[in-house]
Amino acid sequence: MTERLRRCLDDFRANTQCTASPEFASVTLDRLGLADRYTTLESAVGPVYVAWNPRGVSAVRQADDKDAFERWFRKRFTRRALPATSPAPIVNDIRRALEGEDVKVDVDLRDCTRFEVAVLHKAQEIPSGHARPYAWIARELDNPRAVRAVGSALANNPVPLLIPCHRVVRSDYASGEYVFGPAKKRTLLEHEGLHLHEIEELGKRGIRYIGQLEDNCFCLPTCGADLIPELSTTRHVELHTADEALAMGLHPCSTCRPIAA
Amino acid sequence: MTAALPAFEPTTSVDEVGELLAHALADDVDSAFEQVVRTYQDRILSVAARALGDRQRAEEVAQDVFVRAYRALRTYDRPRIRKLRLRSWLYAITLNLIRNAVRGKRLRIVGLERDDGSPRPIADSKPTPESQAEIRDDWQMVGGAIAQLSPKLRDAFVLRYVEELSYDEIADALSQPVGTVKANAHRGLMNVRAFLEEQS
Repeated sequence: MTERLRRCLDDFRANTQCTASPEFASVTLDRLGLADRYTTLESAVGPVYVAWNPRGVSAVRQADDKDAFERWFRKRFTRRALPATSPAPIVNDIRRALEGEDVKVDVDLRDCTRFEVAVLHKAQEIPSGHARPYAWIARELDNPRAVRAVGSALANNPVPLLIPCHRVVRSDYASGEYVFGPAKKRTLLEHEGLHLHEIEELGKRGIRYIGQLEDNCFCLPTCGADLIPELSTTRHVELHTADEALAMGLHPCSTCRPIAA
Repeated sequence: MTAALPAFEPTTSVDEVGELLAHALADDVDSAFEQVVRTYQDRILSVAARALGDRQRAEEVAQDVFVRAYRALRTYDRPRIRKLRLRSWLYAITLNLIRNAVRGKRLRIVGLERDDGSPRPIADSKPTPESQAEIRDDWQMVGGAIAQLSPKLRDAFVLRYVEELSYDEIADALSQPVGTVKANAHRGLMNVRAFLEEQS
């Protein structure tokens, strides 16, 4: 009987033993807001600290050292970011995304307001080689007067580079402010192919749109990298206002949507 | 039966891992807690699954155990955390939450059933049909025997003979004197044995 009882108990234990799924700890830690880890990665603006948790990338930031980053993170998110102790699969994707590859990386925007999230999602739609004015985002969100709030939301972007807030410029096409400094914003935009200097010169002369006669449409001057080099051809015209374009019978470009639909 | 008891003695009487973790927690709860979850998740999940007979509910309870533990730790001072007997403390929380979860319901204990009502193991391993057929009755009977026990005998018996905690740890987890838990675990064992003999 003793033998049998022991065997019964062993079998009972073995047959009722559970192994937690890999997600169990992550989900539990996530409930506690404990799951952020960070590492440093190279980016187009130099080394950046990148933090992530099971929801996605929670922060991209430049900092003097890890202590400064951790302090900033804790203040900003009121939870801890801990140095990564083991390689996480997401890091590879983040690295590729930071190198400019078209890789989908989840981002954790739980600390942003709904408006901020909407602004950031809109910024995410802007392709590489393009830029859009702050007012464009405000208008696209059916809130054309919220230009300043759009600026604040972008300044508050927890994951710059991954959400390309650097692709949002002033309405006169001056590049404007940036979390990593205005110089780095210029570098990034030029690196992506935008002819920033020429675009800024157009802006200074009050040019707001480019008419493309061949396609019978008009665009923002920041609609792709190819637009400015083509400007010297006779098939393109500089325009000060949308009314001018409409009077010429041009329709708004469906890519950059230069005016409200 | 008493003479046969040494055969059941758990090999580990001191939770050294728990001690190390308690020290790490005392230094920094946030950074050490992930390790606590990873170290104890299988045990806590198994305890809950055995008691609730439902993997999904067990997962919820196990998660709540860690959430409660973390929140409690945030309120404890460093000396208190350092002195914690982590494993038995987590078991205490687990037993409380299981009690809440089964309140008003009949305890199933491995009552995990297939859609057709036939029993199946909670375990992740898949025994062969032959071994399955042979052992099914046995461990099912243990489950049934445990379900028959009164709560105080059941807790002591399960912690001793299924979870293999030391009497000190059980006393800690149940907030009872060592003598009481020894007596209850033994009485539980006697009852389980009697139940199995009756069934065979």
